[in-house]
Amino acid sequence: MKKLIFQGLVIIALFFALWFSLRAVNWVKLFKIEKLTNNTQKKLGDLFWETFLHTEKINSNPEVERIIDSIVQKICVANSINYASIQVHIIIKEEVNAFALPNGHLLIYSGLIAESKNADALSGVICHELAHIQLNHVMQKLIKQVGLSVLTTMTNGSGGAEIIKKTLHTLSSTAFDRSLEKEADLKAVDYLIQAKANPLPFAMFLKNLSTQEKKLSGFTNWISTHPDPIERAKYIADYCKTPSMPYQSIISNQTWSSLQNNLHEQ
Amino acid sequence: MTTTTLINPTEHEAEKASNSYLMSLIAVIAGLPLPIINLIATLIFFIGNRKGTYFVRWHCTQALLSQLSMLFVNSFAFWWSVSILFTAETITNQFIAYVFTILIVNIIEFIATIQAAIKTRKGMHVAWWFYGTLTNIICKP
Repeated sequence: MKKLIFQGLVIIALFFALWFSLRAVNWVKLFKIEKLTNNTQKKLGDLFWETFLHTEKINSNPEVERIIDSIVQKICVANSINYASIQVHIIIKEEVNAFALPNGHLLIYSGLIAESKNADALSGVICHELAHIQLNHVMQKLIKQVGLSVLTTMTNGSGGAEIIKKTLHTLSSTAFDRSLEKEADLKAVDYLIQAKANPLPFAMFLKNLSTQEKKLSGFTNWISTHPDPIERAKYIADYCKTPSMPYQSIISNQTWSSLQNNLHEQ
Repeated sequence: MTTTTLINPTEHEAEKASNSYLMSLIAVIAGLPLPIINLIATLIFFIGNRKGTYFVRWHCTQALLSQLSMLFVNSFAFWWSVSILFTAETITNQFIAYVFTILIVNIIEFIATIQAAIKTRKGMHVAWWFYGTLTNIICKP
């Protein structure tokens, strides 16, 4: 029996020794897996965006684009996020919605901009979506809901229009897991604080939208698909209870008014 | 690491003992990805020969035991791969190292199985390291 136990232990030890030795090699780098993943993300992002281009009305006002870009740029610079990797798109639609696509595509609906009381509230939502991008939640959600095999098929051009549309619908109108949403909310607060913007308007925005949900029935996708907005507003407010900081608005009131005016003209 | 002894079984015994090893290679021949197929094939052969001679039973047991341990390591890799394909799990150095480890282990097991099948067909008794010792405890004349 002793011989058997000894031989068994030797086999187990050899197996684990082999596994641990092989673990020392950086296979991910060796097989360029990260590069492959990035390529898949790029192809998926472009594929989804092209589908969107054919179905939605895109903003054509350069002033609106410039102001939104300046907000995103300010947040990115303050948080050491590569601004060049973020592609901001403004969709002309009444729906209060914003979401991220793979490869850094950030889509903001004009309905969301119009419904935001001020630039800090809008910045909060932008920060929330940037957090989803930076924390790789977008790909995680896609893999979980669609599967890596289907995603790879899509990038090979054999996914079928129906699957692409359904996947795009998943991304634009469903929330992430509760834990991922909370992580993105808190990361958004960090981003806002780093950008010296007050995070409380973001919490207030969530609270206000939840009360207006009935009034704006069908147009508040960003709220109705996400976890309870009151609960979110509460933990955001709790999280940012830091010693008072010299907050400053992310853009001037004048620029904010200009944004709203240009948007209404469309 | 094997021990080989010549014990002169009958032609029929040597063929059955050799087949017990060949059964464990059936999934590789059929190209099936499920690790349990090997085990099921070996198990069916083991049950069919449980009343056979000591030489046949002994080799059926050794083949079954080796497949049983292979089932654990291969199943782990199988479900790990499934979780990468269908959940948020990602490909890591740990996963690739595990795949290479079981690939090496499977190749060693494959060569050892073929070698055992050839030797038992010639009437030789082949006892593997650990599995042979375990089979001696389980299988009594």
